[in-house]
Amino acid sequence: MSEKVMELFKSELKVINIGIEIFYNALLDQEIKAVHVTWQPPPKLEKEYKDILSKIL
Amino acid sequence: MPVKNVVKKNFYRDSLQLLHLSEQAKKIEGVMDAAVVMGTKTNKEILEKLGLLVEEGKIAGESDMVIAVSASTEEIINKAVETIEKMLTKPPKAGQYFYSLETALEALPDANLAIVSVPGEYAKEITLKLLDRGIHVHLFSDHVPIEDELEIKEYAKERGLLVMGAAAGTSIINNKAIAFANVVNKGPIGIVAAAGTGLQEVSVLITVAGSGVSQGIGIGGGDVKKKVGGIMALESIKALEKDTETKVVTLVAKPPDPEVQKKILDYITYNTKKKYVTCFMGGKVFEVPNQLKERLVQTRTLHAAALESVRLLDEKLFKEAEKKISIPAEELLRKSEKLYSQFEEKQKYIRGLFTGGTLTYESLIILKETLGDVYSNAPLEPRLGLKNPYKSFQHTVVDLGEEEFTIGRAHPMIDPTIRNLRLIEEAKDPEVAVILLDFVLGYGSHSDPAEAHTEAIRKAKETAEKNGRYLAILAHVCGTDRDPQNLSLQTKKLESLGVTVLPTNALMAILASAVASKGRMKEDTLERTYESFLFPQ
Repeated sequence: MSEKVMELFKSELKVINIGIEIFYNALLDQEIKAVHVTWQPPPKLEKEYKDILSKIL
Repeated sequence: MPVKNVVKKNFYRDSLQLLHLSEQAKKIEGVMDAAVVMGTKTNKEILEKLGLLVEEGKIAGESDMVIAVSASTEEIINKAVETIEKMLTKPPKAGQYFYSLETALEALPDANLAIVSVPGEYAKEITLKLLDRGIHVHLFSDHVPIEDELEIKEYAKERGLLVMGAAAGTSIINNKAIAFANVVNKGPIGIVAAAGTGLQEVSVLITVAGSGVSQGIGIGGGDVKKKVGGIMALESIKALEKDTETKVVTLVAKPPDPEVQKKILDYITYNTKKKYVTCFMGGKVFEVPNQLKERLVQTRTLHAAALESVRLLDEKLFKEAEKKISIPAEELLRKSEKLYSQFEEKQKYIRGLFTGGTLTYESLIILKETLGDVYSNAPLEPRLGLKNPYKSFQHTVVDLGEEEFTIGRAHPMIDPTIRNLRLIEEAKDPEVAVILLDFVLGYGSHSDPAEAHTEAIRKAKETAEKNGRYLAILAHVCGTDRDPQNLSLQTKKLESLGVTVLPTNALMAILASAVASKGRMKEDTLERTYESFLFPQ
């Protein structure tokens, strides 16, 4: 283990932010290279169908 | 004053976007007050308290958005609603925004870290995808099922990747603040924390002490539970043990599961060489294994953990740090006398209104020993649970960051509304003597929390004074001078309002105990409290 962690500790951070936008703004304020994924909850019904489908399949 | 509610069915924006929008809406010309919130029970109760809820809003559901505006005329209201609706559909300004993870990954193919803050039930799917791409994850999301957390962490471990969280509020990686974190000095102390504001307080105090942090790894409270078994605690220790920048490793957590604690201590005993500080708050003092006696120090508070980490590095720096961070017992007693001598006979209770979960917990641990029973919405024992979290009882300490206060709205570190309302309520109670407030600075938090509480602090003080009482307000500001909000500036603002500001959260709880006990806490008792909480065990 920890080789990839050591690599992270030595690298410039490049961050994907998924969800709360304020964290993305904080990354930009710190001059961190970052992209933001705007996340929306899937409609409830879709998740229910997905669960049923995953049971059938 | 006319009030209007417009309900937008099945319309979602995250609580922080809505807070920002609410603040913008209040600035629209002619608007007296405004709020844009999701229609949860808590939010509707708050709209009611603010006088912003009318019939249309009352029937809004949790997935509906409520735009609430009050102004002197209907015309101004309608114009304001129109402006708010325009703001809702405005595209974001700077930065790179994507609507799917895949396109974001194409834009930043060499990403090495992700912050995931989607609702817990959706976190696993996204996190596993990121791990597949070899990306370390800071998982901020709450309510991730513990089975999901275990699966995610085992998956990450197999791939040599870090998963910080779930429910990790803070990390400091390569001296950068991830999620809610402060701007701290870079230095030789590595922190592994299963307690978010615990990591903030320790990293801040280390910085104020003149030292610094190599890495601050937030592993989430669930990591040290039996089910997860400390997977990331151990992986983090392994990494910091290897990291050449790190000289001392400091572990911060609420008491881990006993088996997990043993696993961690065994690992440190047989597989490490560096110096260690443990701060398992609220846990029993444990027997330090013989082999570790020279290089492991056990502490019970964040205050002591920070100072002892510095001491292990440099005794001289520690002595200077103690002067900056600590207050001698005699001086604390003098401070307390100055405050309690102004009380009326009836005033005896403390009311802690906290935004930080770990800061709440640390206060409860201290106050239990100094004052006895303290009620809370996050109590140390079930019998001390508040029947109604919105209503204090005797000595009460509330964590306003808990779910009942935050569903569908921004955290109190960002949105002071709930705490301000509560502060004024507490001031009306003739038995209240001391109020405790924490102010957590750093990225993610409110841009000027002292200013945002100014009106409520003034009102609270005035309310007590009008009724012939003096209300003692204590505060601790968890931050550094390099934080965007600036520690010195925030402290000065609070002091100018007559607030007593303490350098650490633990000292705030100890001073509150001395003040509330109105002279019954003598120097010897205080010395014992210091030994128990502020010194190594």
